[in-house]
Amino acid sequence: MEDKKALQQVTNCALCADMCKYSCPTYLAAGNETISPQKIARLIVYEDKGLLEDRKGFADVMFQSCMCGSCQRHCIYSDYDLRKFILMGRSKAFTEGLLPDETKKRVKTFLKYGNPNGERKLIQKGTGTIGYFVSCSAYKDEKLLKAMDRIISTSREKVQQFGGADICCGAPLYYAGDTKGFKKAAQKMKKEIERRGLREIVMMCPACLKMMREVYPEVGVDLNVQLVHTAEFLASLLKENKIKVKKAGGTATYHDPCILANDMDITEAPREIITALGYEIKEPVYTKEHTHCCGAPPGSRLGFSKLADQVKSMRINELRQTGADVYVSSCPSCKAVLSELDVKDIAEIISERISHGK
Amino acid sequence: MKVKTWLSKRASVPPAFITEAERIAGKDNVSTKECDLIAYSLDYWMYGVFLSQYGSLPSLPSVVISPANTEEIQGILKCANRYKVQITPFGGGSGVLGGAIPTNGNAILNLQRMNRLISLDEVSLVAEFESGIIGANLELELNHRGYSMGNIPQSLYCSTLGGWISTRAVGQFSTKYGKIEDMVLGMEVVLPDGSLLNIKPVPRRSTGPSLKDLFLGGEGTLGIVTEAVVSVHPLPQLTTKQSFAFPSIEMALETVRKTLRADARPAVVRIFDEQEAEGYFAAKEVTLIFISEGEPDFVRPESALISKIARQNKGKPRGEQPVEIWLAKRFNIGPAPTLMQQGWIVDTIEVVSLFKDAPNLYKDMLASMRAVEGSLLVSGHFSHFYREGACLYITFVGFPKDPYRYYEDTWKAAMDATLRNNGSISHHHGIGMWRARFMEQELGTQGLELLRRIKYAFDPNGILNRGKLIENGR
Repeated sequence: MEDKKALQQVTNCALCADMCKYSCPTYLAAGNETISPQKIARLIVYEDKGLLEDRKGFADVMFQSCMCGSCQRHCIYSDYDLRKFILMGRSKAFTEGLLPDETKKRVKTFLKYGNPNGERKLIQKGTGTIGYFVSCSAYKDEKLLKAMDRIISTSREKVQQFGGADICCGAPLYYAGDTKGFKKAAQKMKKEIERRGLREIVMMCPACLKMMREVYPEVGVDLNVQLVHTAEFLASLLKENKIKVKKAGGTATYHDPCILANDMDITEAPREIITALGYEIKEPVYTKEHTHCCGAPPGSRLGFSKLADQVKSMRINELRQTGADVYVSSCPSCKAVLSELDVKDIAEIISERISHGK
Repeated sequence: MKVKTWLSKRASVPPAFITEAERIAGKDNVSTKECDLIAYSLDYWMYGVFLSQYGSLPSLPSVVISPANTEEIQGILKCANRYKVQITPFGGGSGVLGGAIPTNGNAILNLQRMNRLISLDEVSLVAEFESGIIGANLELELNHRGYSMGNIPQSLYCSTLGGWISTRAVGQFSTKYGKIEDMVLGMEVVLPDGSLLNIKPVPRRSTGPSLKDLFLGGEGTLGIVTEAVVSVHPLPQLTTKQSFAFPSIEMALETVRKTLRADARPAVVRIFDEQEAEGYFAAKEVTLIFISEGEPDFVRPESALISKIARQNKGKPRGEQPVEIWLAKRFNIGPAPTLMQQGWIVDTIEVVSLFKDAPNLYKDMLASMRAVEGSLLVSGHFSHFYREGACLYITFVGFPKDPYRYYEDTWKAAMDATLRNNGSISHHHGIGMWRARFMEQELGTQGLELLRRIKYAFDPNGILNRGKLIENGR
């Protein structure tokens, strides 16, 4: 590692007592010490020192993190994020052609179609300087698209909806370790936003938001627009009485999407909406800063489906224990992954209860 | 493999054992991959951690097996007996004496897949957990339901319930809630031959010697604890924090002795010597902190009593702030990894004695450890209290020319001073691999021999956790 400070930081992590492991969803779901944060750091340090022979084995460990940020959130060191070092490991794996098969497939699809799912249709609706970016994770969810349509039209906000085809934030490439490809995707997104004359972009996918807010500037791409998550956007529509809702009864459990809670620190806006809709919130044990990933965080899918299933099952069990009437989230990937609980997006529960607009 | 091992060479196990283990636990849960062997090679024994930064590990396991339940563990142990394969149980890997190091290249039995809350009985105030649950997860589960186990060690975020039981652990709130042996009512244990022992959860019984005490501190040598029933407490309604500065360690100790003699049971009691107080609170004065918690009707008079006794013994009130600072810093081990990277040796030692010996033990231990060549800092605090005595917890830092020599000499100085002053060589970290060399001095030849006979009566093939507790690294 050329950066000595960085090496010192990851070595600190490797010599720590693994004080964040209790928060790591992949470690907890698999019960596997090797993928606990401190052991990942030890392997990164050893790889850097040329002490590992099994390069494929090392690459596989790098793709067994869901990159949810819980270790950083509960780290005893400030200014340290293990994920940056995992990404360096992934970058090496990408260069050396050692990606897990599932990741390789997504990258291949991305390079062909400009998105990780092979979508071809472009979404293009409405006009205005506020953009609503439909992420790859929301693209095929008709209910979700209709819910946002209904909210936008009722609120009478002028919103341009766009997404699909080859418009993508680039997160799948970023998490696959394709740094050059990611930078290109970021530059392309910037052009797309400038072409559309947007001042503000609302998005539902926490990974898109993280990329545009945090990661684009790191690769020299500044969007110069306001970036907002749908939960914040919808909470403000309710506060400003741009949409009015009929109160519901019953209980609701909100699943905090990992990136939204850990990286974006957005945990209260969705709860304000749920409360405004008249639900009593029943929190699970692991909530807010202790939330657990659903197993398939948008953009950063785990390289191994069995591990993803273990994380998913753990999260479903945790949520199910509340026995709430309704389960709500604010990430299209979480909604899809946790479908066994019939999770609804925050936009859907608003749309169902809209009485009228301003 | 390019990583070096300095304690024992990598052993191999019969391929038939691995095939059998795969059949029992599933192929995905049996690994000989390089990354897994490195991950399970070491716990948090500080000298081992120090060397690990250079790619030097004590010993690599031959295989890592991760069973999902008690039945699978039974199967693995039966199989280990058939093939004479030695097994080292691995909980959270947070032990500080090398108890989870796979000496002799043993097979690792990873217990971390067994991490669930099984039940909570709110009438009897007991909860049952699988032993691989991390302390912080156990507390999150209980706190959510309005309870706490009250065992809050510094390793809360990385140690497991099974590890607490195996090392006879103690948490920071021990004066009120007790030690692990006071908390465990029942347990399920897989014995070395694979048979199952169930110790049912009752508050107490008079049915011969207490079987659970064989496993409370057994360090995985006599059996593998798979589940345990522990006592829980409703979350406190009131918490009070007090601190006092004293002219000497003796006067602070005397205050605590009188406080406990008066039947007060604060949850946290800690005396920091001048050096530790300076590091924690930026005030070079012996500092005593108390946290009382529980029902307000008990907590208020208890706090008043503590304050009265402290003032009568020349304690100067320092308010809540030192307690808040300690609460904020108590889990932070941050400086140790940074110092280790600069070649410094850092470690802690905890011992225990009666009140009558505590002041001399403190002085002798510090002086003896400071006299070792390479010593930079030796400081102490008293961290757990009884009506009869206290645990002394020493932190030492050195920058020696010969790290191993310094480490060994410092430990020897500390253990000799402890024994000279009628103390016991471990209060709650246990023995593991490193401290086993002092066990004969502690227990006497007959005491150690009795433990050996118990071990081999349980485990005639010597399957479980060899090289620990009664065997000095072998």
